[in-house]
Amino acid sequence: MKFSRRSLFVFTVLVAFMLIPFLAHAQRSLPPGFDDNEIRIGQWGPQTGPAAPWGSVARGSKLLFDLVNEEGGIHGRKIRYIMRDDMYNPAQTVAVVKELVERVGVLAFVGGVGSATGMAVKDYLAANKIVWVGPAAADDGFVFPVNPYLFAVYPLYKDEGSILTKYIVDKLNMKKIGMLYQNDSYGKDGLEGVKSRLATYRMKLVAEVPIEPTDKDLASQILILKNAGAEAVVMFVSPSHAAIALRTSATIGFKPQWVSSNTLSDYPLMFRITGGLWEGVITGAFGELPDSMHPLMVKYREAAKRLAPGERWGVFYYAGILFADPIVEALKRVGRNLSTEALVKALNSIQKYHTIGPLINWSERQHQGSDAIQIQKCGPNGSYILLQDWTANDLATWKK
Amino acid sequence: MPVGQLLVEGLAIGACYGFFAIAVVIIYKTSEVINFSQGGMAMISAYVAFHILTVYQYPFWLAFIITMIFAILLGVLIEYCFLRPAKHPSILGLIVITLGAEMFLVGLASWKWGAEQQYFNLPFDQSVTYEPVPGMVMNNWALAVFVVAIILMTFLFVFFKYTKLGVAMRATQQNKHAAKIMGIRTERVFAFAWGLSSLLGAVAGMFFASRAVLDPTYMMEPYMRAFAGAVLGGLMSIPGVIIGGLLMGLIENFFGFVYPHWKPIIAFVVIILVLCIRPSGLFAKHYVKKV
Repeated sequence: MKFSRRSLFVFTVLVAFMLIPFLAHAQRSLPPGFDDNEIRIGQWGPQTGPAAPWGSVARGSKLLFDLVNEEGGIHGRKIRYIMRDDMYNPAQTVAVVKELVERVGVLAFVGGVGSATGMAVKDYLAANKIVWVGPAAADDGFVFPVNPYLFAVYPLYKDEGSILTKYIVDKLNMKKIGMLYQNDSYGKDGLEGVKSRLATYRMKLVAEVPIEPTDKDLASQILILKNAGAEAVVMFVSPSHAAIALRTSATIGFKPQWVSSNTLSDYPLMFRITGGLWEGVITGAFGELPDSMHPLMVKYREAAKRLAPGERWGVFYYAGILFADPIVEALKRVGRNLSTEALVKALNSIQKYHTIGPLINWSERQHQGSDAIQIQKCGPNGSYILLQDWTANDLATWKK
Repeated sequence: MPVGQLLVEGLAIGACYGFFAIAVVIIYKTSEVINFSQGGMAMISAYVAFHILTVYQYPFWLAFIITMIFAILLGVLIEYCFLRPAKHPSILGLIVITLGAEMFLVGLASWKWGAEQQYFNLPFDQSVTYEPVPGMVMNNWALAVFVVAIILMTFLFVFFKYTKLGVAMRATQQNKHAAKIMGIRTERVFAFAWGLSSLLGAVAGMFFASRAVLDPTYMMEPYMRAFAGAVLGGLMSIPGVIIGGLLMGLIENFFGFVYPHWKPIIAFVVIILVLCIRPSGLFAKHYVKKV
């Protein structure tokens, strides 16, 4: 095969163009994440697309930073908070994170909804020594083994499954437990937690039923649970699947005690999309009750009315506050001499730290902050009833 | 195994797939276009019903009638705006056009109503159940699906067999140029087919929404299953696609009960096997295009 001179020239130019970004990247150092006047903190999250309801997490963090700035900032620096919409698409997450790290310059990220989206940028952030506090998802891969720059707040689904099962057996006195779980790491982690707890009672699930994210008809799955005589069914599924499960159960006369992970703890939403069937459902929760009189909850609720009047005061909105809160504490501990290393050191020093979420303990060897949840129940009209205050998982092996 | 209950559930969801598949087949029968925006059209119509019910708080049946009129206009509009301007498009071109229309409709719904799930209900209590035979719990949703499926089948049979428009649609499908020479205004026939198809899809969309939740992508999966049911039954046969849909529902439910991991794919595996033996589907005559 022969190439003409012209073809060779065009080919060479194309290769040169393709190499330019790599060369440019190699020579460029990252812009700093702070200066004398401001600290830049970023967050990605779905503001549009199918997961947009969870976009309120990123907006909740904004409320906290706005409050901090209103109170004068931290050691003379204001926080500049930059949100980016990733549409819950890992490829988009990579793009927006790179933009913030390489063009804007950020000291840290907070929150960030989604396991897959987070996993897509986890190694990139660590390689560039960018601190990431409070991923808005529970994934073993974030914190095991310890990533020196990543600090998790969200309780692991294994721990939650275990605590919920203990509640069903000990408090509700139900022995026939079924499980409906999404066939991915979220659902399987929950299943593992439920099974590990049942093993301590020498019990087994009467039925364990997987559902695929694309399933829209759950009749046969619900019939498996009904046929097994499940008195309680633990769900680790998406809001849509939970709604379909409850509607289908109602049409075939199956009325177990539904128990779910905290991902379905937005009761007003769940009550609405199930046409009221959500009443009586028990869930885990990673934050105080929305109407809690905890002094910080009162403060944030009032601030939200003032600074973000258009926002609904829902669990995912103020989850954005509790995921971001530890970095504010760490920045206060660092003082004026800020650096990434100093921030990491301050985060590693956070012990027995409790605001509106679970108790957080971090150290150099352990970056999974919490294993505790509250247990709540949906009351009339999507209201919240506290059944059990913060409870840690005594079976959590990662703490030992 | 609760055979009776699985039968009821399988037939109910299968009938729903079936009459959604009819919507696909009506367009295919007249213009040989596989409409990949069928799910999006049904979704938009269901959202319109939801909007009328929740924002204007009209009674259900008035909202239903307005929605049906909207659905017909939507179908005609999509044919007029997306399909008609394409001059001599290839099959691939038509697929891309309908896929583009689907993306447009999903984007439109996200923009107008947001991505958050919404509750949609039909005007009866779905939790009311009957047990005509021990072990066969029947509910209002399943009863409504069966009744609507029977009415639609009868209507379509009469329409295609005995009405001028129905015959014109069949003639257009068999030979567009001959139909034109015989005085049939084929462009109007295409527009009517899209309108009718959109109307049937809207009814199916409302049934699916009342079983699950309403969100901009909720019809994608039912569309895939309905389409598969249509292929299984034979894309040119209306009774065939209803039976194809029913088979889809039954296979999924019975197999899903024993092997829940396999539920999402088993029906497609069966379809591949059937199509290997009968490429035109179970109930269509083998179709050979004359050159």
